Amino acid sequence: MKAQDILSYSFGAIRLRKLRAGLTTLGVVIGIAAIVALLSITQGLQATITRQLHTGFATDTLIVSTGGGLGAGFGTGGERAASSGFKLLINDTQIIDNITDVETSMAIIQRVGWTGNGTTNLTTTIVGVNFTEYSSIYSSTFVAESGAIPLNPENETIVVGKRVSDPWKNETLFCNANDNVEIIWTNATTLPPKNETYTGHVAVVLKEIGGFSAGGPSDSSVYIPISQAQSFFDTDECNSIIVKLKNDDKATIDNVSKAIKDAFSDQVSVTSATAVLNILSSVFSIIQLFLAGIAAISLLVAGIGIMNIMIVSLMERTREIGILKALGMKNQTVLLIFLCESVIIGAVGAIIGIASGWVLANVVAIVFRGGGGAFTGNQAATTGGMTITPLLTPTVTILALVFGVGVSAIFALYPAWRASKLKPVEALRYE
Amino acid sequence: MATIVEAANLKKTYMLGKIPVDALRGVNLKVESGDFLAILGPSGSGKSTLLNLIGALDKPSEGKMLIEGIDVSTLNDGQLADLRRGIGFVFQFFNLIPRFTARENVELPMAIAGLSKADRRKRAEDLLETVGLKERMNHKPTELSGGEQQRVAIARALANNPKFLVMDEPTGNIDSKTANEIICLIKRLNEEKAVTIIMVTHDQHLAGQSKKLVQMFDGLITKEVVN
Repeated sequence: MKAQDILSYSFGAIRLRKLRAGLTTLGVVIGIAAIVALLSITQGLQATITRQLHTGFATDTLIVSTGGGLGAGFGTGGERAASSGFKLLINDTQIIDNITDVETSMAIIQRVGWTGNGTTNLTTTIVGVNFTEYSSIYSSTFVAESGAIPLNPENETIVVGKRVSDPWKNETLFCNANDNVEIIWTNATTLPPKNETYTGHVAVVLKEIGGFSAGGPSDSSVYIPISQAQSFFDTDECNSIIVKLKNDDKATIDNVSKAIKDAFSDQVSVTSATAVLNILSSVFSIIQLFLAGIAAISLLVAGIGIMNIMIVSLMERTREIGILKALGMKNQTVLLIFLCESVIIGAVGAIIGIASGWVLANVVAIVFRGGGGAFTGNQAATTGGMTITPLLTPTVTILALVFGVGVSAIFALYPAWRASKLKPVEALRYE
Repeated sequence: MATIVEAANLKKTYMLGKIPVDALRGVNLKVESGDFLAILGPSGSGKSTLLNLIGALDKPSEGKMLIEGIDVSTLNDGQLADLRRGIGFVFQFFNLIPRFTARENVELPMAIAGLSKADRRKRAEDLLETVGLKERMNHKPTELSGGEQQRVAIARALANNPKFLVMDEPTGNIDSKTANEIICLIKRLNEEKAVTIIMVTHDQHLAGQSKKLVQMFDGLITKEVVN
């Protein structure tokens, strides 16, 4: 029997039992749609996060810290030294600057405090940086909305993130360029704790960075000159040192990381943006596998549905199989007819499933966006709104199709095999 | 004349639950090309079992069943299927595929044999004309009377130019007037187109039209009559 005749015979059999075939297909549709929706959302999320990290997180930089802050989360070696009383000093940049392949390094002092405009106090992160070096390392994110970052700032000069200037995302601004704001910090090292304060002059507002920031500039921070931070926070310690490398080769990153750790007797943790991206990417792979696994269960259920339906169909059509065999049809042709029916159901289900999964992912993304907006409305200063654009890669599309068809074929194998092995005499006698 | 079917000491035992039943107990039979053989006998005499063996739907337990000199018991499933393509089957309950039209039912054995769509369509129409159903060829079995369905079944049996037709009670499920038409058609096929026919029947009138008559009882051939 010719392939097209087998196909048309199978199509005819499916058409005869439309409702049943439709419901079986629905099972596959749900399974595939779940897989496609979950994968395209997580892949979209991964792409968004990676993109934002790339923006806020120069790949040719390393972050040296005593184990707190970012290093605690993403420390490459896991070595932490915070407990030993080790302190990272602002002057330690001189040690780092002498290491081969280091272009420059700069210290960061960071405290959580408030910024007040006379009527409202906003919780902000107060970050002391060298404006010149910071804007050269983060040249794409530490950028003024209008005007330029002051490279020789006065002590009172401050730079504020977009969410500090416009925390409520509406017409009401908390502060704008050329405004004076109060910088407030509670010094808890004295007894009783004492509020330190000074008046800062907003030189510029940063261009919106978007999303969240890890390591690099953020929308919800206030930047003050490092010298001012040193005297305001009354400290020589820094929270972290940003190291700019001459290139972002893996070897350079590894060598410099090791050299820095050696220089500080393994009491610092060194985090590279690339390492963070790699870790994130492997975390996402695990999440994707996990989610796809959950979705695959529904496809498995669909597969069992297919098997069930094919066995029922086999019983109903025993006599028909007997007739076909009496007319000279070979066992493998009977097997192919049954497999073909299931593969058609699987293919149709997979195609509809991919389309509906994609639609579902977009609906979820829109809902998430809406919900996210509502959430961040009041807390805009601390969390940036993040949008997910679902991503449907050709790999996922092809895999979903192969998976849908494959599951259908595998679960139809047994009923098809049984059909092919029916004895013509017995099949013809079947009532 | 060439011998088409030859049974030698043919035995068939099958299990009815745990009890072995000897359906055939040593049948010897020869069918020559152009024959019109009727097999008569009461229920349980083994005539349907014999017909299944002649039609290569089953294998004998003992003895030899030769179809055009080929021993059926030596063939595997695939070879048996090939052999059955050269045999035309007509069943008591027509056994048409309900979702197919008359023409598609006649086309089916040709599709199985791998004929092109155009060829089989043309031949199906010719065959339906032969059995007098050309104008009803686009009707499904449910839209046809019993006699019409049996005529479609006969046209289907003739589709692949079979070596012989195997008929199991071809008039067993239709009224007597229609049965007469079917008998005439079968006779005409045998006489005019020299189609070899091997038929099981209860119908004395139909049996009387055959060239050769075989009486079976209790798994054995008890009488052979040449009309």
